[in-house]
Amino acid sequence: MTAATARQLHDGCAAITESAIAAGCRFFAGYPISPFTGLLENMSRRLPEAGGHCLNAESEIEAVNMALGASAAGARAATGSCGQGLALMQEAIAELALNELPLVIFNMARNQQDYFQATRGGGWGDYRTLTLAPKDVPEAVEHTQLLFHLADRYRAPVMLYGDPLIAQTHVSVDVAARDFGPLPAKDWALDGSSGGTGHSRQIWTWAMGKATEPGPGPDGHWRAVAAKFDEIAGTEARSETYRADDAETLVVAFGSAALFVEHVVDELRADGHRVGLFRPVTLWPFPGDDLAAATRNASRVLVFELNAGQMLDDVRQFTHDRGAVRFIGGVSIHASGLSFGPLLDVGPIRERILEAAA
Amino acid sequence: MRDEVIITGIGGQGIQLMAKTLALAATRGGLQAMLTSDVGGEMRGGPSQASVVVDDEGLRALPILPSTKSVVVMHHKHSAFALGRLVPGGLALVNSSVADPAAIRDAEVIAVPALEIARAADAPNAAGFVMLGAYATLRLIVDVAALGEAMRELVPPYRAQHVAANLRALEAGAGTVLAA
Amino acid sequence: MTEAAPRLVARDRPDLILGDHGLCPGCGEPLALRILLEVLEELDIVRRSVGVVGHGCYGSFVQIMDVEVLQCLHGRAPSCATGIKRVRPGTVVFTMQGDGDMVNEGLQEVLHTAARGENVTCVLLNNGVFGDTGGHQTATTVVGQRTKTSLDGRDPETHGYPIPLAELVASLAGVCYVARGAVSSAGGVARTKRMLRSAFEHQLAGDGFGLVEILTMCPTGWFVPAGSGPQYLTSSLEAAYPLGELPLRGQP
Repeated sequence: MTAATARQLHDGCAAITESAIAAGCRFFAGYPISPFTGLLENMSRRLPEAGGHCLNAESEIEAVNMALGASAAGARAATGSCGQGLALMQEAIAELALNELPLVIFNMARNQQDYFQATRGGGWGDYRTLTLAPKDVPEAVEHTQLLFHLADRYRAPVMLYGDPLIAQTHVSVDVAARDFGPLPAKDWALDGSSGGTGHSRQIWTWAMGKATEPGPGPDGHWRAVAAKFDEIAGTEARSETYRADDAETLVVAFGSAALFVEHVVDELRADGHRVGLFRPVTLWPFPGDDLAAATRNASRVLVFELNAGQMLDDVRQFTHDRGAVRFIGGVSIHASGLSFGPLLDVGPIRERILEAAA
Repeated sequence: MRDEVIITGIGGQGIQLMAKTLALAATRGGLQAMLTSDVGGEMRGGPSQASVVVDDEGLRALPILPSTKSVVVMHHKHSAFALGRLVPGGLALVNSSVADPAAIRDAEVIAVPALEIARAADAPNAAGFVMLGAYATLRLIVDVAALGEAMRELVPPYRAQHVAANLRALEAGAGTVLAA
Repeated sequence: MTEAAPRLVARDRPDLILGDHGLCPGCGEPLALRILLEVLEELDIVRRSVGVVGHGCYGSFVQIMDVEVLQCLHGRAPSCATGIKRVRPGTVVFTMQGDGDMVNEGLQEVLHTAARGENVTCVLLNNGVFGDTGGHQTATTVVGQRTKTSLDGRDPETHGYPIPLAELVASLAGVCYVARGAVSSAGGVARTKRMLRSAFEHQLAGDGFGLVEILTMCPTGWFVPAGSGPQYLTSSLEAAYPLGELPLRGQP
């Protein structure tokens, strides 16, 4: 029974913490807010044990700026919140992007209503935020390590879109370090060593350089950054399909919603319905080409998300036949305000698919 | 070999600890487990519910179970959701000291007077562990010893004085089933 | 008679300054920059120092200081400094912020960083005005001072009272050194330079948080002639903000 001791029972926050530490994260700062708080608590206990630092900051604004500093100094750093707290971090996310600083941001959202915030962003300038949306805790563990790699690879802030079910569900999970390949050294990171040499390092969104060594300036720099995000858009889109090959009805869902749709797909298939699931794994870049291909033969494309229709915009943009798109999701909130409401359940989802497919 | 159970009751009955003990025992035994919780905001008296799914490799389960083969009913209040998810003929293990077993239809109902059993075992606060011992013995996913180990791991230092009583309660619950 | 070979007797500026500043005639900020860089040189810590620079006229200093710099969001420098110092404790970390940056936007950051006792040095360039945006009122604008958002002079009834940042910081445990200087005279420049040196020495000793508030001239923002800056500073800002090393009241 070799797996017995390796496997732990972790909730998503604990599992993500272990995964981040395995990825080399050594700085975390955050502010308590449900359902992100568990991540801050776990980091607070475990990061120092791993030789890192975890700070309970005075607000989300300071948390993200502390993490920015740690990143500028070359550490693998992270922060997070839910959408309400991320609203305060928008300026700093733009700053990270325009400074080309890596940072992993854990959005332990309360529902799926932060899709626009994650994918459109609320900061200034031309930047995008690579966002992965796991459907369950094991995938969140994998995405966490991938995100630290991608953040360093592209020198950008990147996001994990979680939710209360991922944050609070316990699963038996292994958290082993994963290797995604070599990365260049962080020779841009600040450590003081280039001071007084005439070539001292400068991290500045305006990139004007020093009087003796002018930089590209805002025009050159911001165009280069925008071009980088174009490159990422072309190479990092990810998606999955489930029983979609011969589907007449294709349901599009992300995150935990997709997990439920998978179950409903199985039920409906057993009843003879040709239904399948398309699941964007990256919310940005949205896997539009994959979606176009997957929807080629579908007569109905049903968007199921727990909000008033956000991913819907992206689905409409890329679906092979726009006229086939229908929205079957909706805002559905737990009485506490802090989690999903009754729509995230097999019965209601099944009903909506059948109604739309009729 | 897959097991699923929704444990339902009110805050203060130890629902969450029961469920986590079960999930952890399964995990330590090399099985896969998924544990989800749903609690009200109050410290006592509000709804408290948890679901545990256990399986060998490749566990696939939803955090909100569409159906369940078993429920453990610690209290009649707030039990409608769990009972509504029970498959016809599924197991309903009922804490008959509090909840009325006769009120449950279309299930294999097993009544356990958990409070009385707990008191008899000199573990008056551990009715939940009585039920857990009974459940584990009925379903045979984990044994009482494994539950005891998991419970020991989970009980915080400031509650360590309850470990022995909890163990007695687990044994007593298991004993009730074996004797029946 | 042969002439003696030329002998270098003084530099017009430290080697660490890479070019001319573009700030107004009579501005005190370049003086503050100069003495800060001289202190880093004298303590021989240039090659392990990182500056976190906020937003203001002094923001352009990132182009002319031969020290590693992170230019950060308005007000956030102490937080960024915290992150850098935590992951690189051997690095000397300082911030350079104006009063708009530190005392308006960034009051939360500097107070919390001080209370946490982060082992960094914050430098406040206080001229009582948002100079870079054209001369607007800040939290440190003194009563009676005219700005574009207090045209008749700051009036407590309408605009409330200024915030003495150094005194606030000195009231917090976690702080090891707080001083206020002014660069309005040769003597003031020399005394302020000694304050900076003390602050950095404390950082090197790992004593906790240090703050040096430097009153600087802003004749443009003050609507006075360039040469009248020092006199205005002495009569207005110094009256509200006493100079010297502050007693630390916040000791546990």
